[in-house]
Amino acid sequence: MNTLTETRASVCSLLRLTALVTALSLSSIAFAAASLNLAPGFSSLEKGATVVIMPPDVELFSISGGGVSEPKADWTETATGYIINELRRKSDVLGMKNVALSEKDADDLAEINTLHAAVAQSIALHHFQGGNFSLPTKGGQLDWSLGEAVGPIHQTSGADYALFVWIRDSYASAERKAAMVALAMLGVGIPGGFQVGYASLVNLHTGQILWFNRLIRGTGDLRTATDAAETVQELLSQFPRSQ
Amino acid sequence: MRGLLLAVLALSVFGCASVKKVESGTNRLGERFTISIEGAWNQLDFPGVKPAQVWTMEGVTVDEFLIFNGIRDGEVMNSKSGNGKQQDFVFRKSMPTEEIVSLFEGVLSRDNAVFKLIKIEPYPFGGKKGFRFEYERIRKTDNVQLRGVGFGAVDGGDLFALLYHAPRLTFFPRHQARVEAIAATAVIR
Amino acid sequence: MKRRTFLAGATAWGLGLVSRPGRTADDLGYSAPPRFTRPETSGEEGGLWALMDREERNLRRSPLIVRDGDLQSYVQDIACRLGSDHCPDIRVTLVRTPLFNASMAPNGMMQVWTGLLLRVENEAQLAAVLGHEIGHYLQKHSVERLRDIKSKSAIGQVFGLFGLAGAVGQLAVAASAYAYGRQHETEADRIGAQLMHRAGYQVGEAAKIWSNLLAESQAAEGKGANGSLLFATHPAPPERRAMLEDIARSLPDGVTGEEAFGRHVQRYLDEWLNDEIKRGQYAESLVLTTRHIARKFALETMHYHRGEIYRLRGRDGDLDLALGDYRNAIENDKPYPLALRGIGLIQRQRGQRKEAIEMLSRYLELAPAAPDALFIQSYIAELNS
Ligand SMILES: [Zn+2]
Repeated sequence: MNTLTETRASVCSLLRLTALVTALSLSSIAFAAASLNLAPGFSSLEKGATVVIMPPDVELFSISGGGVSEPKADWTETATGYIINELRRKSDVLGMKNVALSEKDADDLAEINTLHAAVAQSIALHHFQGGNFSLPTKGGQLDWSLGEAVGPIHQTSGADYALFVWIRDSYASAERKAAMVALAMLGVGIPGGFQVGYASLVNLHTGQILWFNRLIRGTGDLRTATDAAETVQELLSQFPRSQ
Repeated sequence: MRGLLLAVLALSVFGCASVKKVESGTNRLGERFTISIEGAWNQLDFPGVKPAQVWTMEGVTVDEFLIFNGIRDGEVMNSKSGNGKQQDFVFRKSMPTEEIVSLFEGVLSRDNAVFKLIKIEPYPFGGKKGFRFEYERIRKTDNVQLRGVGFGAVDGGDLFALLYHAPRLTFFPRHQARVEAIAATAVIR
Repeated sequence: MKRRTFLAGATAWGLGLVSRPGRTADDLGYSAPPRFTRPETSGEEGGLWALMDREERNLRRSPLIVRDGDLQSYVQDIACRLGSDHCPDIRVTLVRTPLFNASMAPNGMMQVWTGLLLRVENEAQLAAVLGHEIGHYLQKHSVERLRDIKSKSAIGQVFGLFGLAGAVGQLAVAASAYAYGRQHETEADRIGAQLMHRAGYQVGEAAKIWSNLLAESQAAEGKGANGSLLFATHPAPPERRAMLEDIARSLPDGVTGEEAFGRHVQRYLDEWLNDEIKRGQYAESLVLTTRHIARKFALETMHYHRGEIYRLRGRDGDLDLALGDYRNAIENDKPYPLALRGIGLIQRQRGQRKEAIEMLSRYLELAPAAPDALFIQSYIAELNS
């Protein structure tokens, strides 16, 4: 039905703003444990493992004074470029051999990228957020697999692993910021912009998600190369160096 | 997506919702409806999902197993979501099978998803004369292409049904057999 | 600088095109600019191109694209003939969305929605819309709009001009708020008419599109002409139709290409009509199907789907209207299988066993591989027992 999200939003809408603030402050403490990021039995990639960097799924928004978010295609376009560059650089540093996809290949593999986004959201909710949302059948483990759907990525790229990245980032406009300050003085917190990101390392022979990380924070920017690099660094901060 | 995240954060902090384990074995879903499952499932106990129960194996954004346990004549089939302007889909006990399937189509297209019926056939469900159908969906919110299967029967004027859908890549094929097996164990008393 | 002259004349034309001196009947005096080269990405226009490249990539990867090569190349070919020198820069994408819309971005990406293809009646009408969009493109209206929007500090909304099928509801709102101004519309209409004429199409068809759409939206209860989602980016005031009729008188002759158009869309009609009916705007859908029935286009298909609309609307007497339409769909030697099914199911519910068995059996004979074949067989067995 996929209508659950809306339902939940309405049920607890009064609480969510305060909750956001709380959750953001908790997030850095709660998710430090490394085991959260790794699938059972996986510790690191072999040195020189070939990894294909999937086209990052990125969207930047601005939040207007009234709180409406508006996609900013021009920002997104620039940010995507920064992110790809930094992913390449970072994967070199981590000891991987990265492979790029042509536009045509990326077109053909679009459905798998879409699938990853859906799965990543479930992992973020049910595994990283956990708590009330943990799936009992997963036993607290990072136990998700994209299965045989990833076969075509291996056939197309020749790589053994794939790195998927999904990021949504929003920025408060000047008048929104003014509203935030005004309301804060009255003791009401409203969200400004914030950043959500998911990254997965996937075994292209089994589809298993070997490593996953999530980013949720009220800081971070993707509109300049330096800040975008910082975001990628943060997203990949728990990524194990190749052994 | 922001909506999802905010809501999820809110719910997790204030405990508006939870996920419960459904144990392997015989599960009594209501006074008249029982199914047996092999291996556990997760029940998403979120407010507002009614009238269906929602179970999942992989997570709320991946797969949904919807359980309709005795929908009464005149009862709304869809959850109370959306902007309030969308059409509600109401079950009538006089509806023939083809109209019940159209009803599910309406419920599953309420988020503007593209829906296509692939197959509908007679199926003895829960020991009653029932039906089975297969379908495809494209979720417009994120372009995920899904496959689904549904089973149902009307007994004593109440509608009992099980629906399962998941991405057509990997996930539907992975769990279809389990779902078919569960449907085969359904008992309507 | 002929182009500039044309622009300068555009506003005055609305009043007195025919009497404008020095013009022959087949010449509105428009000459298109030379092909555009990709602007510097850093500039304003370049930024818009980059942005549209990205939208185009997303669109290409959407599951809602009509991937059939035949229909795409048919529409592409018409756009190409209209665009003449600009042909190599025009890329047509057909998007499965049941609303009337087409758009063209400055990078050459042209979107045509299936709701438009379901509504135009011939090649000339399709050409009128494509020509109009090419007109916006040739005059770089979107770049001007970008400037305008920027000054209102809402540049992000520009995507609404071309937007993705994925956000249709939102898009329609954004698009109507940010539609081209009337002057741009008038200019695009004029250029479109000229391009149509040069490509050999009957220009008079352009005005008919708006008459047809107005009839549809007026049928929508409790809504004004623009309350309907049909007119996403192109509001249609009556004077627009009048102006187009005016232009047509000075650009006579040409073909309509009705047969070829019908042939190309024929096999999509069921899918598009299903999408159309799912909008739940039964009043509009009834006007649409009734219009096609009146022009004897795909009669069986249209009768069947109008029957479906009546059945779904379900007011008093609608079931009988549905039956009437289903019957019309099976009258000739090539009965429409789903209509046989529709009649059979109603008869079954009304307890007319013998008639129901006959109808449902005929349905299965014609459509043995139908998705519901096994299910209908079970009904027949039940009725027989
Ligand atoms: Zn226009």
